[in-house]
Amino acid sequence: MSGQMRPACSVWLLLVCLVLYSRLKVAASAPTCTNGQAGCHVLSLANLFDRVIQHSARMHGISNDLHSEFELYFLPSKNQIGRVSRNCHTSTILTPNGKENAQRMAREELTEVILKLLVAWGDPLWHFHQSLAHNHEFSNFSSNKSLEMSDMVHELRKGVQKVIEKMKMLGIIGNSLGGLGSSESLLAPVSAEWRLMKDYDLLYCFRRDSSKIQNYLKILKCRIVPEHGC
Amino acid sequence: MMKNDGGVRVFWLLLLFLLYTRGKSFSVPGKPTLTRCRSPEKETFTCWWEPGSDGGLPTTYKLYYRKEGSEKEYQCTDYHTGGKNSCFFNKNDTSIWVNYNITVVATNALGQALSDPLNIDVYFIVEPNPPENLNVTIQNDKGWPFLRASWDPPTKADTRSGWITLIYELRIKLEEEDEWEIHHVGQQKVFNIFGLQSGGTYVIQIRCKPDHGFWSEWSDDVQVVVPNYFPNKRSAWVLLMVFSGMVFLILSWLLHLNSRNLKHCILPPVPGPKIKGFDQKLHKSGKSVDAFKSLEVPDFPHHTFSKSEDFLVEYIEVYVPEEQELMLEKSNNLHNGCLKSESSVSDCDSGRGSCDSHTLLLDKSGHQTNTQDSQTDEQKHGEALQGENLAYTHQDMVSPDMSAGRVKTWPSVFSPLPQNRSTVDQTSSIEIAKQHCLSDSLLPSDFLTPYHSPPGHCTREHLGSNYWEFDFGNKQPHLTQPQTEACHQIQAHSEININTGVKAEPAAHKFPTPRSNEYVEVQRINEEDSVVLRPVASNYDKLFEMQQGEDYSRVKGVDSDNVLLLLQKEAMEEEMNMCPCEQLTDTTGAHYTRFARSPEKPTACTHPTPQPLEERVVNGYVDTATMFTMPPY
Repeated sequence: MSGQMRPACSVWLLLVCLVLYSRLKVAASAPTCTNGQAGCHVLSLANLFDRVIQHSARMHGISNDLHSEFELYFLPSKNQIGRVSRNCHTSTILTPNGKENAQRMAREELTEVILKLLVAWGDPLWHFHQSLAHNHEFSNFSSNKSLEMSDMVHELRKGVQKVIEKMKMLGIIGNSLGGLGSSESLLAPVSAEWRLMKDYDLLYCFRRDSSKIQNYLKILKCRIVPEHGC
Repeated sequence: MMKNDGGVRVFWLLLLFLLYTRGKSFSVPGKPTLTRCRSPEKETFTCWWEPGSDGGLPTTYKLYYRKEGSEKEYQCTDYHTGGKNSCFFNKNDTSIWVNYNITVVATNALGQALSDPLNIDVYFIVEPNPPENLNVTIQNDKGWPFLRASWDPPTKADTRSGWITLIYELRIKLEEEDEWEIHHVGQQKVFNIFGLQSGGTYVIQIRCKPDHGFWSEWSDDVQVVVPNYFPNKRSAWVLLMVFSGMVFLILSWLLHLNSRNLKHCILPPVPGPKIKGFDQKLHKSGKSVDAFKSLEVPDFPHHTFSKSEDFLVEYIEVYVPEEQELMLEKSNNLHNGCLKSESSVSDCDSGRGSCDSHTLLLDKSGHQTNTQDSQTDEQKHGEALQGENLAYTHQDMVSPDMSAGRVKTWPSVFSPLPQNRSTVDQTSSIEIAKQHCLSDSLLPSDFLTPYHSPPGHCTREHLGSNYWEFDFGNKQPHLTQPQTEACHQIQAHSEININTGVKAEPAAHKFPTPRSNEYVEVQRINEEDSVVLRPVASNYDKLFEMQQGEDYSRVKGVDSDNVLLLLQKEAMEEEMNMCPCEQLTDTTGAHYTRFARSPEKPTACTHPTPQPLEERVVNGYVDTATMFTMPPY
């Protein structure tokens, strides 16, 4: 009896393992779909946009919180806001400052601007987090927030890139946009300046840029997929 | 020309001086203050300031601003759109995500004053207009009404292009209330409100806010009246009352059903007195007899006995007299013939039954016609009983009901012990006879029937059976008739040597050798008032059975002395018959005692008639035959 049971048990176990493995594989990583591959779970552009926009909103919220916290602790005079000398390292990136400007901009340009901004802020935020972590003046809350902010920038960039791919796939935007390779070129001009920025200025600048990103994404979404929430 | 200019200047100075000397104080204007800047749609914005003191002189205010990244100073172009002390920035002048440094300058004749600069970013000062076109309608959801509020975003705010994202907030209250109920709506422009009061009037307002900005003002009130979907409040109360009434009825019914249990729980009954086995009900019903029935001990002697079976005696214990001297003494006493009315029934050995149960014989004798003998009877009874010394060991002894002169019950009567021989001797009554009889019952087997039919005859009746009949009845007189002539006094000493050891040479008298207790039981009472006895099977049944035929003794007869003549074994019988009395008297070792009331009757022993011999049923041993005299009647 036991002899018969063992092979049956082993077969049964094997089946169970196969089933579980297949399930896990499906859950762990979704296969990259290209051109509507069969058996691939495809997200619509609207969904992608929604996700990205939510992500950017969260990022902006964190940056706002951190900025408020810094403003409380360091109490820089209001005049500092008007300091002309302050110069965000992303000021070189031309961004539309108005609605008409933004609407007049082509989708590709707008997308590129977003991408540039996201790329520009990856490293500075990481270093900002490092400086906060090593500086015992700041609370753990701030340090955690900075880390989260830094991660979000990277995630958002990936998300935007996915959106761009999707849009390219759908033919919404042309291929004028450079790929990932262009990100390094974008980085070069601004690489040196951010190290000179103080923490507070950095936060100020990032708060603004995150709002820009969010806004541009919304504009893009309502221009490309206007059916929901526009 | 120069003089004219100088004159004008002097004139102005004089004027100013005059003005000054008149008490008015003129000063530079006070410092204005920029209060706030707001943008309704993130495309234009307006700033307001608060002027300081004007210094008594007409003051002008100007607003200057600078943009971030440029040193160029701009001046506000529109001071009217926003109202007084405001500056309106149009779309061309408005840049989002750009810092504005705004300053207001108050200027009067004496000087000017600069306000503190204000830095703003238009992106963060957005305060939209309240939502427009708030519309509240009453909808029905399966008979339950609810409100549906819908609105539009403010006109200026461009939400369609995604430039501004607005979130809304709604608040509602009953008209008469003071506190609002606030609902966060989100980005949608429709909202449902449930849980309304029937017939109530509601007031609803709405407002909005951009992602990062300020809340708008509340919109105008919208009133709505909810219809009465509860037909009548009173009906609701009626329903409630009916329901509660039903519940109450059910509960009371349940209580009624379980009232008993509840009663027991709450008020446990007081336990009444109880007599074990006593049935109160029966007692109440009047059948007291039955009521007390259960109280009866099973083996309690019944006061009504109809048959002798009721008082079957299981056994009779016979005790061996330990001292023969006593015997002698008693034998001597026998001669005295004095009736000793000793009623010292002191020898109530335990386990032998009540010694007091002399009633058997007493009653029996009492019923006899001879009243004289009543006393004697009593004595005899007592003596007999005492003499028996064992009386009735058996618990079965039923109180004798000597009604019809019949021994109804018969305890285990024992042959009187030697101790009490004296007393017994005196008894010349049936008792003794009885005793004798009973002692004879010790014989393993049969009993001779001391049935003496014809008076004067030492008739030995022979019962073919094993019964020992003792006739207490009318025959007594007969029995008592001295039959000295024919009968010999067979003095049978009540040597009840059940324990055979005691009987020494009387073994010659054919005492049955080792003999255990012989028991006799009263079988019945026949119609002639005879006690029918029969031996009870004992351990030595076998032995005795074998000897049954041998161990009989039978009454030969009753002589005039009221002595029951018993037969012994053949060999001995003759002897006995010959002169048992003499022998007895002589022999000290005689095992027979002669219980004769009249001791002066060492009558000559006559030979028994051959009759009896013939009648000898069996080779009768007179084992423990006890002679007893019949009461002289």
